Amino acid sequence: MAIQVSGITKRFGSYLALDSVDLEVRSGELLALLGPSGSGKTTLLRIMAGLEHADAGSLQLHGEEALGLKPRERQVGFVFQHYALFRHMTVFDNIAFGLKVRPRGQRFASAEIKRRVMELLELVQLAHFADRYPAQLSGGQRQRVALARALAIEPKVLLLDEPFGALDAKVRKELRRWLRKLHDDIHVTSVFVTHDQEEALELADRVVVMSQGRIEQVGSPAEVYDHPASAFVYEFLGQVNRFDCAVEDGVAKAANGALSIATDGAVQGPAIAYVRPHDLGLSPTVGGPGRVSSIQVVGPDARIEVDLAGLVLEAEMDRERLGVLGLSPGDRCAVHIDRARVFARR
Amino acid sequence: MVAAASTDTVLPSSGGTVLSVLKKPSVIPGFGLTLGFTLTYLGLIVLLPLAALTIKAGGLGWSGFWNAVLTPRVLSAFQVSFGLSLAAAAVNAVFGFIVAWVLVRYRFPGHRIVDALVDLPFALPTAVAGIALSALYAPNGWIGKLLMDWFGLKVAFTPIGIAIALTFIGLPFVVRTVQPILQDLPPEEEEAAASLGASRWQTFSRVVFPALLPALVTGFALAFARAVGEYGSVIFIAGNMPGISEIVPLLIVIKLEQYDYGGAAAVGTMMLVVSFFLLLILNLLQAWMRWRHAR
Repeated sequence: MAIQVSGITKRFGSYLALDSVDLEVRSGELLALLGPSGSGKTTLLRIMAGLEHADAGSLQLHGEEALGLKPRERQVGFVFQHYALFRHMTVFDNIAFGLKVRPRGQRFASAEIKRRVMELLELVQLAHFADRYPAQLSGGQRQRVALARALAIEPKVLLLDEPFGALDAKVRKELRRWLRKLHDDIHVTSVFVTHDQEEALELADRVVVMSQGRIEQVGSPAEVYDHPASAFVYEFLGQVNRFDCAVEDGVAKAANGALSIATDGAVQGPAIAYVRPHDLGLSPTVGGPGRVSSIQVVGPDARIEVDLAGLVLEAEMDRERLGVLGLSPGDRCAVHIDRARVFARR
Repeated sequence: MVAAASTDTVLPSSGGTVLSVLKKPSVIPGFGLTLGFTLTYLGLIVLLPLAALTIKAGGLGWSGFWNAVLTPRVLSAFQVSFGLSLAAAAVNAVFGFIVAWVLVRYRFPGHRIVDALVDLPFALPTAVAGIALSALYAPNGWIGKLLMDWFGLKVAFTPIGIAIALTFIGLPFVVRTVQPILQDLPPEEEEAAASLGASRWQTFSRVVFPALLPALVTGFALAFARAVGEYGSVIFIAGNMPGISEIVPLLIVIKLEQYDYGGAAAVGTMMLVVSFFLLLILNLLQAWMRWRHAR
């Protein structure tokens, strides 16, 4: 176990940022902390790095209690959202910083430092930029420098705080793939914070979904997407239709009885149902209960809004399928739900 | 860009070609107007009086000029003025930096009052400052008496007194130039340094201080320039002994009182030249520091 978090609690004034959080990070994995802003994910990451103090709990890095250690004693590489490169140093000096500030006895000779820095520059594909200053680089290049700088100290753990947050969409996607590939090559235990579910699902080995200072669910991307553990996770991951229903004898009824869904039977009484747009099937039926109110085409997909006795649902399918069905706004249709999840009302 | 280029070529006079040489294509309008205004304004407010001064000094002729300037009394006044101004600016650079650091980094009771106090040397009439300082540091003053009793050190009416007055008036320049830069320094850079294994001292000396250095040099240059031109506070505390504690501005006033207008102009011109070159050097130093990381 690379990182063991137990019972970590953190308050900012009267605001509870982390509420007794337990988490295990496995050696060599790439873990995503995913949640909306204010969920405590960045606070948790900063506590791991020692940049923030925990009020209670314990943190073990490779089996060693670390809460009492200063950031510089933890051997943790940290990558910031806005790069935090040293502006007055060249790319080379930025990356060499962690090696040059080592205590005299542990410091490498300058030739060795140079060799290591050049190796890292090769790794992040910036070998020609060694003499540039950060201001002369693009956002994506700066973040790669920041990554190389963090890797230079050969960290036990790499922590990344919204590493792609400040980049534009295209660069973000490229850098994401590149980071995944890099991780597959060097296998350093990594934790990254993001509020972008697509990023977490695409990049991480495991995803930790957080909300209001608590962990809602931990699992592989497929697990958390296909089997959300709570209503929050369902709503936070991907598009979802959410509506009130009443469950009786394993059947959830909604929209004044126009919609019936079979459930697994654990919930009784008033409840909330969640249905993913692509789990909503439509078939043209004359005099059917649903009415197509609008159709939006986004790239290869079509989003269809259906009015079911006052309940508005969104369905998603590819354009080809829509063409086969031949639905257009105003048409009546029947609605089938292939898969739904029902949570009791709290 | 196209529009800008075409207006340049349409301009018929030679002024048009001069402008098009100076001007890079830009979307920001009003280059000609603002440049013209700036030059006129600078000319009237700054260059014209300086030119009058130089012309007055030129009336002495080349040898007359050097005869007026290269006397032992004038040379030692230059030494006093520039030497002590540099010393005072250096003292301010160190302690003004600390004041700025404390004001930005820590919150304590009376923080705002201290912040406001820093500006007082800007506002106080310099003669008042000079009289207050000489009363304090005179051999029978509160501080002057203690220094005399303990160390046998005479402060008022010596060059040390001048340095103290120049330090007093120069402090706000350093504090007010460093303060905003320190305030805007992102904490992430320091956090990054800490996580990379740097001690607090290494973080300060390798990350924080280099980022503040250009502002510190600016503050130093301003404090220095102010000190060189200072008159009011110094004459009360200096003792004004020719060759020992006489500053150049006082010497100029003395020459004027003796109706030696040419001599006063010559000394003034010399002062102008020396100041200009020192400030130019400081500016180039700054530009070089900024160029290193602000491209």
